[in-house]
Amino acid sequence: MKKVFRTLALLALTCSIGATAQASTPEEDLKAFQDFYKKRFPNVETSDYVNGAYSIDPVGRENWEAIEEFPPYEPFIDDGMTMWETPFANGKTYKDCFPDGPAMKGKFPHWDKEKGMVVTLELALNQCREANGEKPLKYKKGPINNIVSYIASESRGQLTNVEIPKDDPRALQAYEDGKKFYYTRRGQLNFACAHCHLQNAGMILRTEVLSPALGHTTHFPVYRSKWGTVGTLHRRFTGCNKQVRAKPFKAHGEEYRNLEYFLTYMSNGLPLNGPGARK
Amino acid sequence: MIGTRKKLIGLVGAISVIAGQFAISPIVSAEGMSAVEKGKKIAFNRKTGNCLACHNIPGGQAPGNIAPALIAMKSRFASKEELHQQIWDATIKNPESAMPPFGKHGIISEQQLNDVVEFVWTL
Amino acid sequence: MHKKLILLLTLLAAIVCGGTTTTLLADEASAAKVQKLIDAADAARKEAASVGGEWRDTGKMIKKAKKLLKKGDYTAAAKLANDAAKQGHLGYEQAMSQKDLKMPSYLHY
Repeated sequence: MKKVFRTLALLALTCSIGATAQASTPEEDLKAFQDFYKKRFPNVETSDYVNGAYSIDPVGRENWEAIEEFPPYEPFIDDGMTMWETPFANGKTYKDCFPDGPAMKGKFPHWDKEKGMVVTLELALNQCREANGEKPLKYKKGPINNIVSYIASESRGQLTNVEIPKDDPRALQAYEDGKKFYYTRRGQLNFACAHCHLQNAGMILRTEVLSPALGHTTHFPVYRSKWGTVGTLHRRFTGCNKQVRAKPFKAHGEEYRNLEYFLTYMSNGLPLNGPGARK
Repeated sequence: MIGTRKKLIGLVGAISVIAGQFAISPIVSAEGMSAVEKGKKIAFNRKTGNCLACHNIPGGQAPGNIAPALIAMKSRFASKEELHQQIWDATIKNPESAMPPFGKHGIISEQQLNDVVEFVWTL
Repeated sequence: MHKKLILLLTLLAAIVCGGTTTTLLADEASAAKVQKLIDAADAARKEAASVGGEWRDTGKMIKKAKKLLKKGDYTAAAKLANDAAKQGHLGYEQAMSQKDLKMPSYLHY
């Protein structure tokens, strides 16, 4: 009888080893992801991916460089600075929540062990507001884009460095959930994020060059001519999901937060250069 | 005699032209548009087939290049049925295909799909 | 003569009234049927949503079907409800068929 148990235990152990051996680690994912682009665009410097589609589209790049001479997101940065410095009704300011100052985008998104969730910059800003008796800002449109533009501009040059703490398995699970989201087909049109921005990056969809996912997170928020304003990464997620005819998820809800966690991790090592300007 | 002959040739010619038109577009709808013509409209329309988003098609403006150009279809598909299946759900043949399953997911109707097949088969 | 006329009128009235009641009953019956279809569509939509597989327009289609039902356009309402239910089922299937993540073959580990 004991023997049977031992064999069973051994079998179970072999199975679990087999399962873990199959799944790749975040480090392996990162390497495979970045290698894919190196192979596809051998002439593009890895650091240039922070420029999105313009890293691989020379014609678009010329127009974009002309736009960047008079950055359309500048007024948003200025308004954001005012927001940062204006005290809440209780006399405190954002600085009381973030004592290291506005140059802090490189710290987001991060795993918060206490809360047991991924915390994004926008979420942290709203938590700060609520802790000080202020109404949270709407996540997609409006003033949130001003303060995020200011913080992004102050954080330029910081390196993307998302950590997945090894001492909390829930952090790895959040990363895995984000990864699963990225590779899952969705909506009536049946596209995963990866179909456009990995598998077909650099190809032309009608007249648009599909941007590489590597570097996607570095330049947000972006002023998009199509929007006529600055918008956050989660607004863009929403738009992408709608385009594939899937019902979008809540901005800064669990799905998109984990997606941001995975996607930002994939750009680890790239400098932050937001806000950006896009078509 | 020669005059009659010319007339006769003319008549035969006219008949064959008409017959030829029928041969190209055997199904003519009540609105007077053939299945091929309707299929072309659906294929080019951004809100229905939007094939041009990814495929180059002779006669189409501003095509994408994500997928192969739609040419020499008869050499690439053994039958209309096979082509129909490809547009119905391309992941049957290639699980990693990025092409939307136009039939399976009801992106276009059965009838529209049949018309598109008729059109693409002529390319 | 008089009796005959009364009989005839009664008969006529019976037919007319009877007819009206049947159409009314038929109306109620189709409304109830369409309502069932709409409920089924909403259940399918929710099932898809429960696995993160809801499509963009399914909810809108159900809303529109409800409006059409109110207007008494049963045929159009039923069609929309059926299409929405189909979307719900497809969205659920789509998510379930990808329950286990399969990394793309073009990524090399």
